[in-house]
Amino acid sequence: MQTLPRTFIHPGIFGDTFLLKMFMGLSTLVWISVSQVSAVSAGSLLQDVENALMCKCDDKCGKVLMNCTCSTADKTRGKFSKMLESGLTVEQIIKTQVAEHGETILSAPTKFGFNLTAWLTPFIALVAGGFGVRKVLRTCVGRKDGGDSAVAPTSEPKVSAKYSKRLQDELDGIEL
Amino acid sequence: MNDIGEFTLLLALATALYGCVAYIMSARGNRGDLYLSADRTPFIVWVCVVISSLCLWKAFLTDDFSLQYVWAYSNRELDTFYKVSSFWGGQKGSLLFWTLLLSTYMLVVYFQNRRKNLKVVPYAMAVILAIIVFFLFLINFSTNPFERIPLPPEDGRGLNPLLQNYWMVIHPPTLYLGYVGFTVPFAFAVAALVSKDLDDGWIRMTRKWTLLSWFFLCMGNLFGASWAYVELGWGGYWAWDPVENAAFMPLLVATAYLHSVMIQEKKDMMKVWNMTLILLTFVMTIFGTFITRSGLIQSVHTFDEATLGYYFLAFLAVIIVASVGLIIARLPLLKSANELDSLLSRESSFLFNNLVLLGIAFATFWGTIFPIISEAVRGVKITVGPPFYNQVNVPIGLALLALIGIGPVIAWRRATFSNLKKNFFKPVTAGIIAAVALFPVLPLGSRTEIYTYITFVLCVFVLTSMFTEFYKGTVSRMGLHDESAAAALATMTWRNKRRYGGYIVHVGVVLIFAGIAGSQAYGIHTEKHLQLGESFEIRGYTITYEKLIAVEATNVKTRIIAQLAVERDEKRYWTARPEKEFYKGQNQPVSEVDVLSTWKEDLYMILADFREDESATIKVYVNPMVSWIWTGGWIIAFGAMISMWPDRLEQRRRLDRVRKQERLFPSPAQE
Repeated sequence: MQTLPRTFIHPGIFGDTFLLKMFMGLSTLVWISVSQVSAVSAGSLLQDVENALMCKCDDKCGKVLMNCTCSTADKTRGKFSKMLESGLTVEQIIKTQVAEHGETILSAPTKFGFNLTAWLTPFIALVAGGFGVRKVLRTCVGRKDGGDSAVAPTSEPKVSAKYSKRLQDELDGIEL
Repeated sequence: MNDIGEFTLLLALATALYGCVAYIMSARGNRGDLYLSADRTPFIVWVCVVISSLCLWKAFLTDDFSLQYVWAYSNRELDTFYKVSSFWGGQKGSLLFWTLLLSTYMLVVYFQNRRKNLKVVPYAMAVILAIIVFFLFLINFSTNPFERIPLPPEDGRGLNPLLQNYWMVIHPPTLYLGYVGFTVPFAFAVAALVSKDLDDGWIRMTRKWTLLSWFFLCMGNLFGASWAYVELGWGGYWAWDPVENAAFMPLLVATAYLHSVMIQEKKDMMKVWNMTLILLTFVMTIFGTFITRSGLIQSVHTFDEATLGYYFLAFLAVIIVASVGLIIARLPLLKSANELDSLLSRESSFLFNNLVLLGIAFATFWGTIFPIISEAVRGVKITVGPPFYNQVNVPIGLALLALIGIGPVIAWRRATFSNLKKNFFKPVTAGIIAAVALFPVLPLGSRTEIYTYITFVLCVFVLTSMFTEFYKGTVSRMGLHDESAAAALATMTWRNKRRYGGYIVHVGVVLIFAGIAGSQAYGIHTEKHLQLGESFEIRGYTITYEKLIAVEATNVKTRIIAQLAVERDEKRYWTARPEKEFYKGQNQPVSEVDVLSTWKEDLYMILADFREDESATIKVYVNPMVSWIWTGGWIIAFGAMISMWPDRLEQRRRLDRVRKQERLFPSPAQE
């Protein structure tokens, strides 16, 4: 079956890897907008502490303090509540806990030093993968175009605008 | 009986080992006698493993505490229901259960394929048998469930109270059915590589297996979430625990495979990629087993006696090295034309879908192993918990949600501007209307709320895209065949099971996305210490603490139940009975939550504490849209069933192909 000439694709919009651009653009937009807001929102201070720290019960339940149902969890929450009432900030409470238990008490890696690699690596991998897909797509389409040019007549068939439009409409309706 | 169980395990190991070697030798040397001999081993192995399993079940049901495993996971008071499920409650039994499922799958594969494709099938059987050999070796020589106690105690230690829940009977077997099921496509992939029979025959032979395994793995994950929700009593359903991650990763990779394999079937492209994906899926299933059995990564799911890390690490290394080696060796044969008509086509959208799915899988894998990396590099062990996964995976997940809507409306091969304009018009318009309508209604003060807003808008976009596909097909069929709308819809779906079954699955996924977003953003909770008769309000519900009831359920279990009246609009709406269960010999009581689930929200009640004066601490969560997640799960199940349903046309085509192959490669019996 003869394929359609590339001129059928709207050159202005779809001349390049449209999906990749759309995907990257959407992701960036979401990322930026959400990052901006996260800095502003505060929420409950106690909840922030509970969300930032892991439960350290004897059962090693492995849960964030906010979700922990161990018998010691309520006591710990009460302790943090009192610390907040005494004027300590969330950051100060977290610092005291890290000093006492080590970094393992934090529910997520810090965003500096070596731990930054934890946050960046997935996105670097995703972007690298995106470029990989782009390259694969370009190669595959290029190969097809090259293959076609070897057998296809050098000049495009002269079809009237009327038949071209009709063919276009028919093809649009086909689910292959 | 225990001796019989132990003996049959050894017999199964010896037979599996023989079968594996014999299958390979018969295929390599084209020896019909060896093939016929090897062909008897799958049944023998299955019978041996079944007998051994029945022996262990009998030991549980008859309270035979001379077996260390029965003593550790059962006691006389345990319900028969849980005595049956205790079989897979610990490491030893779960390995035997895995082997039982794998040998049963192997038997089905054997009956499905014996006399078919004699180039590939013997190698596939050899691979499955080799994997069975590994598990049987562990069971026989490292974690034998028939290990005895010299002086049998009077009673057992009992099953962990958290495991005494009906989900224990449903969740692990479902998950295992998924995990183990991926062995079949893996075995056929390896067999195709070894036999150099690298057309899409192995894909067609294992398509249903892949779908079935995917279905079980998906359901297993959802059942696990449901279990966590009703049993763990923290108001949530997913904690990004390493073992949850380990079950989630193969699901993602397998989903990527299910999509990309369509490109190979349609265009004979991406052979290396598909091979890599199915091998990676199997590696991920073994990685999950490695985590629970190594004790390397802390998890609530880790078995008490997690001592098999090195065995599984070695097994993983062998699989990875062998698979990669085979792919590299067969690269020239795996090369395909790799020609695409356009950059903008459904094929390319599938590639992006693969990228995003693997992106989430990688981020999850990275988070799971990062504590080990950190310890190795800095000497500091850190925790990677839910905040990390939520921040990293949610934006990528949103891109995936968008692609679910974009993919089906882009044409195969080449999309044109007019085609796109026509297909995208309705979904995009619906999405814009949803965005405008929801903007003033939904709060947008936090990161979670913004994500939720975007999720809802995308859900509308995707659902419109899906329903438009159904609508277009139905209207077209009504015009062509003069059928009613219902008949046209049903016939269209039935005649294109794979396509429309897939769309139904997508609708289920959208509901899950919406449910997760809604429950994460708009849930509230409170905790109150109440005297008898005291009330409090939460989101329109008035909750009154009525009484505290103590029930001696069994000799080892005491239930403390708090009865609460829930009123809405001054009418009694529901009577909640959250409870705490105390088990003899256990330090921590177990919370049994009570949940009133509606389409709008769940009212989730926990008895957190109580005192002698009958006052009680009650925790209440109002979790919106959680039931959407479970509904989405059932829709996925329905869609997957449709996709998997046998297709007579496809079977006929396959039969023709097999006949053609048999003419080319006559079976030893015919020779």
